[in-house]
Amino acid sequence: MRYNWDWSIYFQRASDGSGTWLHYLFVGLAWTLATALAAWVIALVVGSIVGTLRTTPSKWIVRLGNAYVEIFRNIPLLVQMFLWFFVLPELLPKGLGDAVKQIPPPWGSYLPAVLSLGIYTSVRVAEQVRAGIQSLPRGQRMAGTALGLTLPQNYRFVLLPMAFRIILPPLTSEFLNIIKNSSVALTIGLLELTGRARAMQEFSFKVFEAFAAATVIYLVTNMIVVVLMRALERRVRVPGFIGTTAKAPQAGH
Amino acid sequence: MNSSMIEFRAVSKWYGSFQVLKRCSTRVDKGQVVVVCGPSGSGKSTLIKCVNGLEPFQEGEIIVNAESVGAKGTNLSRLRSKIGMVFQHFELFPHMSVTENLNLAQVKVLGRSREEATTKSMALLKRVGLEAHAKKYPGELSGGQQQRVAIARGLAMDPIAMLFDEPTSALDPEMINEVLDVMVELAQEGMTMMVVTHEMGFARKVAHRVVFMDNGEIVEDAATEEFFGSPRSDRAQLFLSKILQH
Ligand SMILES: Nc1ncnc2c1ncn2[C@@H]1O[C@H](COP(=O)(O)OP(=O)(O)OP(=O)(O)O)[C@@H](O)[C@H]1O
Ligand SMILES: [Mg+2]
Repeated sequence: MRYNWDWSIYFQRASDGSGTWLHYLFVGLAWTLATALAAWVIALVVGSIVGTLRTTPSKWIVRLGNAYVEIFRNIPLLVQMFLWFFVLPELLPKGLGDAVKQIPPPWGSYLPAVLSLGIYTSVRVAEQVRAGIQSLPRGQRMAGTALGLTLPQNYRFVLLPMAFRIILPPLTSEFLNIIKNSSVALTIGLLELTGRARAMQEFSFKVFEAFAAATVIYLVTNMIVVVLMRALERRVRVPGFIGTTAKAPQAGH
Repeated sequence: MNSSMIEFRAVSKWYGSFQVLKRCSTRVDKGQVVVVCGPSGSGKSTLIKCVNGLEPFQEGEIIVNAESVGAKGTNLSRLRSKIGMVFQHFELFPHMSVTENLNLAQVKVLGRSREEATTKSMALLKRVGLEAHAKKYPGELSGGQQQRVAIARGLAMDPIAMLFDEPTSALDPEMINEVLDVMVELAQEGMTMMVVTHEMGFARKVAHRVVFMDNGEIVEDAATEEFFGSPRSDRAQLFLSKILQH
């Protein structure tokens, strides 16, 4: 197959007249990041709370947390996005539902995209947080309790700071996932990076150039994320800490 | 004459249908040291963890400083803050420096100011010979040093009693004495202590009484000289002969 690459396409005027195609794609990147970051805040907050609740001594609260995880883990992201976008407004009381449908273009897609992506990812974060807390030696919780710390204090000062350090690497992959998964939002009409690459291909017929650019932009973005997260890992590294085995770390001097 | 600090009254505990503690009764008087020993799985850790409510129990009563541990109205968090506890695996908080480990509960539970807490912590670190390590993290210390920090962390709360659950059994042999020395000194100063340990030298030296457990039962509860001189039960005799061999 022969294909005539035309790199100058990036500097030609985009069909929406806002600037060059390159500029058009970078606006897409901005939407991708805006979606991913907002969803990440939801995922992190909700996931941390749910994951923590699932390790409390209260059976009832643990069950509630488990139910949340099971529900949102077993529905595909695409379906969840459709549920928020198409179904939710129908379920709301008429006035409110109509108001939701009236939200102007990018926001009408942006909000359900952020909500569905955030909640979908929160389940995965909750799993990590739970695993992180449970990987700590049982004696850590006991030591905090024995000192008179209340349960919330024990989580805040003893358990979560170590649990989060331990799960930082898997959280990095979840963050990369959320950036990639934000492309699903094109199905509900959000013109993020993938959506714009597709639009560029449709209007300019330059399919390879469009997706080559999108690929490179995703790659570079995720590489930057990885570098930043590695820096964060180094920053919060605990001196002398090796693992979470209950065995005494024998540093020895 | 002596008033009791910790008193067990017929305490029973079950894990499902398995009974770990069988009507255990004993007491630790103010200023006394009681050593608890017995074979693995006999319920020593469970017994000592009932004192500050780390383990709930189903029957009987535990009175600590005139407060009933299991009772509804008892403020467990406040009671715990007055009882120091030292664990086999130290359980220092790895993400905090040695000083922060000692400060945390002083500030969050007792409401001391950070300066006040730090002053107290430094004095205690000096006492256990670790003031030079105040800024280090637990992972940078040897096992013996970590356990001494853990003891200091308990003492920082100005406890009315200290509980030890096999404080030296995770240590390399050459580090056992540095920890025992701190405990002996503490005992000689009149700290009320309940100590699960197999260090019979320590028991002989500072214990007022020795409690021997087997199968969840307190089989023997005797003054130290009496326990080592003429243990009444066969089980205690057998245990002693085994443990004193090495
Ligand atoms: N959470 C639990 N669930 C069920 N059984 C338990 C639990 N914790 C302890 N046990 C059992 O209770 C018994 C007493 O345990 P405990 O830890 O108090 O013994 P121990 O005397 O401290 O032993 P060791 O010298 O090995 O530390 C053991 O048979 C143990 O298997
Ligand atoms: Mg034990």
